[in-house]
Amino acid sequence: MSITRENVGQLAAEYADRQPQEILQLALDSFENIAISFSGAEDVVLVDMAVKIRPDVKVFSLDTARLHPETYRLLERVRERYGIAIEVMFPDAADVERLVQEKGLFSFYRDGHQECCGIRKVRPLRRKLDTLDAWITGQRRDQSPGTRAAIDVVEFDRAFSTEGHDLYKFNPLSNWTSAQVWQYIRSNDVPYNELHERGFVSIGCEPCTRPVLPNQHEREGRWWWEEATQKECGLHAANVSKD
Amino acid sequence: MRITLVKKIKADGSLCRKCAEVTERLEREGHMGRIDQVLIADERDPQSPGMLLAREYRVERAPFFLVEDDGGETRVYTVYLQFLKEVLQQQTSEAEEATEILRDNPDLDFL
Repeated sequence: MSITRENVGQLAAEYADRQPQEILQLALDSFENIAISFSGAEDVVLVDMAVKIRPDVKVFSLDTARLHPETYRLLERVRERYGIAIEVMFPDAADVERLVQEKGLFSFYRDGHQECCGIRKVRPLRRKLDTLDAWITGQRRDQSPGTRAAIDVVEFDRAFSTEGHDLYKFNPLSNWTSAQVWQYIRSNDVPYNELHERGFVSIGCEPCTRPVLPNQHEREGRWWWEEATQKECGLHAANVSKD
Repeated sequence: MRITLVKKIKADGSLCRKCAEVTERLEREGHMGRIDQVLIADERDPQSPGMLLAREYRVERAPFFLVEDDGGETRVYTVYLQFLKEVLQQQTSEAEEATEILRDNPDLDFL
């Protein structure tokens, strides 16, 4: 069955309560030109699940040049364990040089993280996504109730689709909790980032990631110096029902 | 081609921050004349025209643009710079676009 902008909503509803493996099967059956976005954190479970369906599944990762050594080591362990080629995407050197020369190495603490992430993550990601018909992410609803409460298991990717290029995004772990992810990691002896043993939950770039305390939400370990994301532009049903 | 801009009115009756920014920019750069109609998605009224369109097209962010081509096909744009580039054929920098994508898609914080 081919996935289109017209039927993707119906498929999302149909697969909303399915297991991640079933959603991955749908993704890999529906698209040949598809890849997993692997961040070097808990989303490693997607790689473990996907290679059991398609051993040569494509995987890519964004190397911002500011990652922890532990994350680089995990990338290598995953590459060796599953025998897959992880395509590592790098930011444009001229863009990084310009940012650093103009604003220094830690401008994000002062100006917010969007400009730096735009250069180091979004542009390389966009370059990669331009070559794909669909991608798979490890996004989960419980990671950030504020920004991810409505994430579907499959969706038309409005952020990265362009005129003449439709892109679809699969979020097989959307309905899983962190506890389910870790149960899977332990049960299947999946390699994981050593930083998790030191209190890191959500792992990104080294300067923008910190461990969290018990019962602190994982998002408090990322960009903690910034105010909570403004959600005033959301058009979710919840916004309406509150009023 | 017919272009509809949907702006959001918040529960307190004010225009959402991003909607105000986009409107100001459209006016400042002389593009407002290209917009055929402006509809309001009023948080206080789920039946307001903009809220109905948001539900119909499964749009979860404001502002957004609906662009209906002469063949009757409608495309939705939630990223202003993408709309500016693809529909109004204006030059935008890739750095500016990347930053806007992040600002408009807070769920990308998983990256």
